[in-house]
Amino acid sequence: MECTTVREQMLEALYGEAGEDTLRRVDEHLAVCAACRDEMAAFRRLRVDLKSYTLPALTPGRPRWLRPAWNPGLPVAAALLLAVGGASLWRVSVLERRLLEQDARHAQALAELQAGLRAQARPAAAAPAEAALVLRLEELVTKSEERQDQRLAASLRDLSERSEAQRRYDLARMSAGLSYLDGRTGQRAARTAELMGYVLQAAERK
Amino acid sequence: MPSPTDDALVEAFQAGELAAFDLLVLRWQRRILGTIYRILGSEEEARDLCQEAFLKAFRGLKDFKGEARFSSWLYQIALNLCRDRMRRRRGRSFVSLDAIGEDQGSPKAYSRDAGPLELAEQGSLRGLVQGALATLPEEQREVIVLKEYEDLTFLEIALTLQVPLSTVKTRLYRGLVNLRGQLERQGVKGAAAVPAVHA
Repeated sequence: MECTTVREQMLEALYGEAGEDTLRRVDEHLAVCAACRDEMAAFRRLRVDLKSYTLPALTPGRPRWLRPAWNPGLPVAAALLLAVGGASLWRVSVLERRLLEQDARHAQALAELQAGLRAQARPAAAAPAEAALVLRLEELVTKSEERQDQRLAASLRDLSERSEAQRRYDLARMSAGLSYLDGRTGQRAARTAELMGYVLQAAERK
Repeated sequence: MPSPTDDALVEAFQAGELAAFDLLVLRWQRRILGTIYRILGSEEEARDLCQEAFLKAFRGLKDFKGEARFSSWLYQIALNLCRDRMRRRRGRSFVSLDAIGEDQGSPKAYSRDAGPLELAEQGSLRGLVQGALATLPEEQREVIVLKEYEDLTFLEIALTLQVPLSTVKTRLYRGLVNLRGQLERQGVKGAAAVPAVHA
């Protein structure tokens, strides 16, 4: 069998995805081809080296429903959670307020423009062309207002979605950290209890 | 109590149970973070893009049809973000192999026996592997990371990357050959080839 033909099958064998027939064909080829045999051995050594590329320290948490009832770290963590959630809500409310203020400014500018146009408008009988123009302008202004309203509503929806997603992600990260704290605190408590046991035993022996 | 499957959590989310998404995040964030970190090589960027990936997933999950597995879809989001980031920094190498060589002194031979000196050198091997991975073309690096570190099958990788199976194997083969060459040039000889070096 040609080396290039068996290459894919060698990879399947290397990664444990080869069936019996494939393994047999690969073994038969490696028995007669030194180059492929050396390459296969080199890949096996390489895979061992690749395993050294470990991740930086991360804290995988236990699922929330496995958390114990109480531990001293919870009130602190709860305060942090409230702060994070509160911060997210605060950011939303600040941005919402800014958008609403901008909308109010737009509405005021449009109202002033309309008032100015009406003040300049002549009676329809005296200047029908100008009156038609004013009506057309008012129509354009109204449509512009509607578009502004739609854009504002879309922006607020988008902002709300992003904030909710951010809040959930932050809460999930916080929960993972809490679970890690639970584990560490439990271990310390267990060690403390063990030490207390030794001390009591020593005192009794005296 | 058995954990709910990804499909069950997705269904619950689409039915309005937003807390189901929290469980998906808890389940997958470490792996997605690890994948992005190994592709980009930067912990800070990995955290940023991991967060961005889950934000995108949150916004897109209501329209997720289930034609692919949830994990494949999530990996696709993460890989697309990585590609966008790499496009932006194209032409700039974030790891200099010369710098790694200077940090480590002259290239040394490594063995598998874990004596104290070798244990200290494992940190160096990690750096060399990280550097070698960074020199790979993106498509080879993606396949290597998904196969070696995420332990996806060839078929899962093909579905995630939306390429044929043979393409996955070709990229993997070329990636392994390139990595072997890079590491050998840095003095990493592999097990049973060179005796341990003791100071």
